[in-house]
Amino acid sequence: MINAVPLEWVLTVSAALFCIGLFGALSRRNMVGILMGVELMLNSVNINLVAFWRYLEPRFITGQTFALFVITVAAAEAAVGLAMIIAIYRNWATVNADDVDSMKG
Amino acid sequence: MFQLTDIPRILPEILLIVLALLVLGSDIFERWSNDAASQRERSRSAASLTIFGLVMIFVIVLLQSGYVYKLPEDAPVNFFTNIVRNLQSGGPVGDPILGVFATDHLTVIARLTLIAAALLTALLTLDFRPIGHPAEFYALLLSSTAGMGLMAAANELILAYLAVELTSIPLYIMAGYFRAETKSSEAGMKYFLFGALSSGILLYGMSLTYGFVANAFNASISANNLTQFDTIARAAFLSDDGRGMLILGMIFIIAGLGYKVAVVPFHGWSPDVYQGAPTPVTAFVSTASKAAGFFLLYRVLVTAFPGLNGSLESFDELSGWTTLLALLTLLTLIVGNLAALPQNNAKRLLAYSSIAQAGFILLALLAWASPLPIDREMGASALIYYLIVYTVTNIGAFGALAVVSMAVGGDELSDLNGLARRNLGLTVLFTVSVLSLAGIPPLAGFFAKFYVFMAAWQAGATWLVIIALVTTIISLYYYLRFLKAMFITAPADDTPIATPLGMNATLIVTTVLLLVLGIFPNLILSVIDQVQAVAGAGF
Repeated sequence: MINAVPLEWVLTVSAALFCIGLFGALSRRNMVGILMGVELMLNSVNINLVAFWRYLEPRFITGQTFALFVITVAAAEAAVGLAMIIAIYRNWATVNADDVDSMKG
Repeated sequence: MFQLTDIPRILPEILLIVLALLVLGSDIFERWSNDAASQRERSRSAASLTIFGLVMIFVIVLLQSGYVYKLPEDAPVNFFTNIVRNLQSGGPVGDPILGVFATDHLTVIARLTLIAAALLTALLTLDFRPIGHPAEFYALLLSSTAGMGLMAAANELILAYLAVELTSIPLYIMAGYFRAETKSSEAGMKYFLFGALSSGILLYGMSLTYGFVANAFNASISANNLTQFDTIARAAFLSDDGRGMLILGMIFIIAGLGYKVAVVPFHGWSPDVYQGAPTPVTAFVSTASKAAGFFLLYRVLVTAFPGLNGSLESFDELSGWTTLLALLTLLTLIVGNLAALPQNNAKRLLAYSSIAQAGFILLALLAWASPLPIDREMGASALIYYLIVYTVTNIGAFGALAVVSMAVGGDELSDLNGLARRNLGLTVLFTVSVLSLAGIPPLAGFFAKFYVFMAAWQAGATWLVIIALVTTIISLYYYLRFLKAMFITAPADDTPIATPLGMNATLIVTTVLLLVLGIFPNLILSVIDQVQAVAGAGF
């Protein structure tokens, strides 16, 4: 069963997901969009961790544990981030990252 | 196995979390009315509890470290000696707890630095503009400090990641704490977006590193904790299979931590965040969070990637992390110092100055390019001495700026005009900090720079030291702009500025420390020299 999909394929998917997330985070102008890009990056990390665990050391649980911690922290981070975006919207009436630019130099 | 006797070793972090809960609880269980006087009272009570608690924790850590007082073996047995003996049994000794939590000299020195930084920040905030929900602010400050302690102690990837997040998430909120103001909320948002991106990059690097180690130990059953730093080093030593993945992971980890410590090209967030955040928070972010980042970076590179240290001999190919760091150092020194020249906002200028300072700190890490242990030891001492001095100096500089921006209502360089005629004492204290940042003898900044240059020179980074010297001279220009504004330019109005008590205490403490550490560096160098004995052990 485990040999049906080689590890390399899984890693390629995760690397592609990471690149898409990074591109999204860097190119999107909407702050919620940037946040979604970051979430994609974190999910690619989770795929990596779980794949390494399943294929290389299924006897132990390090990779699984790590993935669980990543999911938990990502949820906390998203909560803070969305609250921050609401604060920005109240002050600036926009969530476009380019428009929020009061400091120059 | 975790034993009960390990509890004293993690006592400082436990106490910080308990204090954070206590500060929150003391605010919740009291009924505060909404008028200005009782809100001020509310803010004061949260601040004083935090300051009192942090002083206690600092004393406990100092007692535990045994740096100033070591209980003799034959001390009589009574109540007090028992307390001291139990505390000191958790001092800088022993293997990491469960292999993941190191309590060596590096951790203990880092804790002392970071807790002192938090204490000085709390003193600065005490008299700063009134903040809403003060207890939450101090609780965030304390949990962030606990996270920084964990960052310095982390000897394992999962703990390192959690510590980074425990440090960063409270800092995002603190940077945007004046949420009704455009600048503060913008600073918080930018800090958050860059921080989230960088932790994604850091995590990807960690996952690749974990994959490499899991692959290396595939056949053996004995490998249990695959994310420990020393296991990574052992795996890199044993196996060559998939080394590219390990190197890629290392680069991602350096990039992720590079964001946290704001080195070029990962510095984009820091000028905006430093300028927009409340000034005491800026002081904390620019010192404690940067120092904690460097402590973690040092421990990761030295204990997890000692075999990949590379050399500074040839730059034809990437031969290891010192080559990479040399490149970052070059960029950071040049961009940080040149970009500071045209700035007109004092906080922004100090932000670029602190980017440039990160370049000098990186120089100390380059000492690992040398194969000789004595050079590496010197690099480690130089790094930690610089971090301590930098923390003290920048808190002093931002603290003085906080006084001015509160009294004048702005933090442009022109708001400093004629400060010497408005408050001479404050001006002198500010001047000492600025001159120490510039590296003028006999202040501590001079000796720190000298020591770092010496360590990097010994390790063979000759040309980088020359560039660092040139940029130091360039940096004099923008540091002297502060002095020109304060002493020579005429002020817009002559009304005296009063320094509030808490800020005055902070400024006087930092100034005295800068003078003492500059004139008698041996006071702490003998302590710092012990770091290498633990951190550099292993492969």
